[in-house]
Amino acid sequence: MIRESDDVIVKTVARLLMPFITIYALYVVMHGHYSPGGGFQGGVILAAGFILLVVTQGIAPIRKRMSEKIAVIISSIGLSIYAGIGALCLILGGGYLDYGILSRILSVDRAEARSLGILGVEIGVALGVMAVMCTIFFAIFTLDEKNDRRNE
Amino acid sequence: MNTFFLVIGIGMCLLVLFCLFRVTYGPTILNRAVGISAVGTKTLIILLIIGVIHHRVEMFVDISMVYALLNFIGCLVLAKYLERTGEV
Repeated sequence: MIRESDDVIVKTVARLLMPFITIYALYVVMHGHYSPGGGFQGGVILAAGFILLVVTQGIAPIRKRMSEKIAVIISSIGLSIYAGIGALCLILGGGYLDYGILSRILSVDRAEARSLGILGVEIGVALGVMAVMCTIFFAIFTLDEKNDRRNE
Repeated sequence: MNTFFLVIGIGMCLLVLFCLFRVTYGPTILNRAVGISAVGTKTLIILLIIGVIHHRVEMFVDISMVYALLNFIGCLVLAKYLERTGEV
């Protein structure tokens, strides 16, 4: 069980840093086309902010916002966005993840449809990676909790 | 100007070796933790210098910011782990 940190400096710095970490993660996701980063890296930064909160504020208040169940649901949503955009291209007559064909329903030209398609896929990947990282983190950090319950 | 940054980068790499020495032979676990943190900070500077040398500093700023963030969180998680196991 992770207790709340008893140091006021660490707690305050983590609270102040959290919004900037989230904004930065969104920047990395949005600018994945033409700078280092993308869906996976943005998701990892989002999950890092979450881990920072768990380590400093204790696991109990964070679980109300992000439990294991919600993490599974969010990862499924992310995977569905990714696979859904790919399948949509397939339905419209292109190849799998051939974003150019999305211009038929988005009413923009092919290049812009390609850019928007990549952005959508990256958002899906970011959601999935964030939720899976949180699941792994929960699974590791609540291991002793489960062992205690088994021993009782 | 490029030579100047190259020399500074090589000097930083040598300083990383000194920190690495402390990480390997550190008497206590706290010395190792501080050594790891110092290596992370120096890596960040080296990344920025590489960016300046290649004239692509706006790309390397992104990477180095993520590096600083992960270094901070990693240090905090390590401290939490040591607090739980009671080694400090």
